[in-house]
Amino acid sequence: MSGRVIVITSGKGGVGKTTASANIGTALAKAGNKVVMIDTDLGLRNLDLLLGLENRIVYTIVDVVEERCKLKQALVKDKKNPNLCLLAAAQTRDKSAVTEEQLKDICEKLKKDYDFILVDCPAGIEQGFQNAVAGATEAIVVTTPEMSAVRDADRIIGLLEAKEEIESYRLLLNRVRPNLIKSKDMMSVEDVVEILSADLIGIIPEDTGIITSTNKGEPIVNDEKSLAGRAYMNVARRIMGEDVDFMNLEEETSVVAKVKKFFKGLMGKEK
Amino acid sequence: MKDNIFAELYNKLLGFFRQAEQEESAKDVACNRLRVVLMQDRTNLTPQLLERMRSELVELLSKYLEMDKEALELNLDQEGEQMALMLSIPVIRAKDEEEIEKALAEAEKAKEESETDDEETAPEDELSEEETEEADEVEETSPESTSEPVADSQPAKAAAMKFPNKEICGDCRECELSDDIECEKKQQAASKKTTK
Repeated sequence: MSGRVIVITSGKGGVGKTTASANIGTALAKAGNKVVMIDTDLGLRNLDLLLGLENRIVYTIVDVVEERCKLKQALVKDKKNPNLCLLAAAQTRDKSAVTEEQLKDICEKLKKDYDFILVDCPAGIEQGFQNAVAGATEAIVVTTPEMSAVRDADRIIGLLEAKEEIESYRLLLNRVRPNLIKSKDMMSVEDVVEILSADLIGIIPEDTGIITSTNKGEPIVNDEKSLAGRAYMNVARRIMGEDVDFMNLEEETSVVAKVKKFFKGLMGKEK
Repeated sequence: MKDNIFAELYNKLLGFFRQAEQEESAKDVACNRLRVVLMQDRTNLTPQLLERMRSELVELLSKYLEMDKEALELNLDQEGEQMALMLSIPVIRAKDEEEIEKALAEAEKAKEESETDDEETAPEDELSEEETEEADEVEETSPESTSEPVADSQPAKAAAMKFPNKEICGDCRECELSDDIECEKKQQAASKKTTK
């Protein structure tokens, strides 16, 4: 088996890289793939929290690199899905504790046993980014329809294009608010895609459910009713090569549509 | 009385919506600002460098043309995936041969003097040199709008250079600043809006 190594990056912090990693990873595992997630944000690890695995971490990526444990020992299995595991970042060390070569080496080893290796990249374009990208051949650039996030995404895309190892990159547009787009207060999906001239892998609507799911340590994809959860599931399917239509968020979130849906549901029950 | 109130309300509402239509939406402002910023990011062309290029182009072109120097505009614009440098030159008239010869001779003289005066003058920026060469070629056919690809100095995004007529300006912001004349682009955008 030779797995695909996908780095999830953004440039700007706080746009939802880690949330995206946790959800895409979980979604891919739910679809039956063997998935390992690597948190490369040394010193500021959070992926363990979003997955609810913070209490199970014994060894980290630094322990693997410094040979205090074997790679397999450091992989923490997910609570629900045995197909999913996490290689956590060290909280007490900084970005220099792992080198590009070492990360490349870890990815190569993991490729043999896993279908997908998702690398959660730290914010910024410094060494942490260079390390995270080192082992990857594909990238997902997370951005939001805000100026600063789009600008940083453009910078990241420039850097990714300069890397020979990266064969493809696609855009994940996070925190989209259809109401604001409708009132022309927010850049639309089309605007961002046109400005960055990049392919889309997914559109994730702003969803308050993300906050509760983070608090509970359970990715929102596990909630099949939530809009963001379904959007992430679609992202996973697109990664796997399926041709999935993008959700029409305007329809999904407008009050009229909800009322219609409600009545449709009632009618269905009566029959 | 009641009718009056309703009429007033109606008018107010109408006025409100009209105002909303006229004002540039936050999204449009964001898009336009982003485009400008990204072009600067991608090409490493700062406003200072553009200004320098502009003044050098004025110097060069004024040897051949009589033009409105203040109104000459040099802007970066994006057309699809291509980056374009838009130069708009308001030409008053072309100079006749005598004048050109004279201007060239003067320039030559000035150049020689400056070379002997100080040889430490910093070498010109690579990019601006390139653009100047390009402008040299175009000046023969000007002021017709032509578009010619520039030797690409940017690895990621291709660059092209275009010389439109005066009416087509590179950047809508400039139009608004100068006067009420709307540039073609803006008009097009407006007509698109209404058709939608």
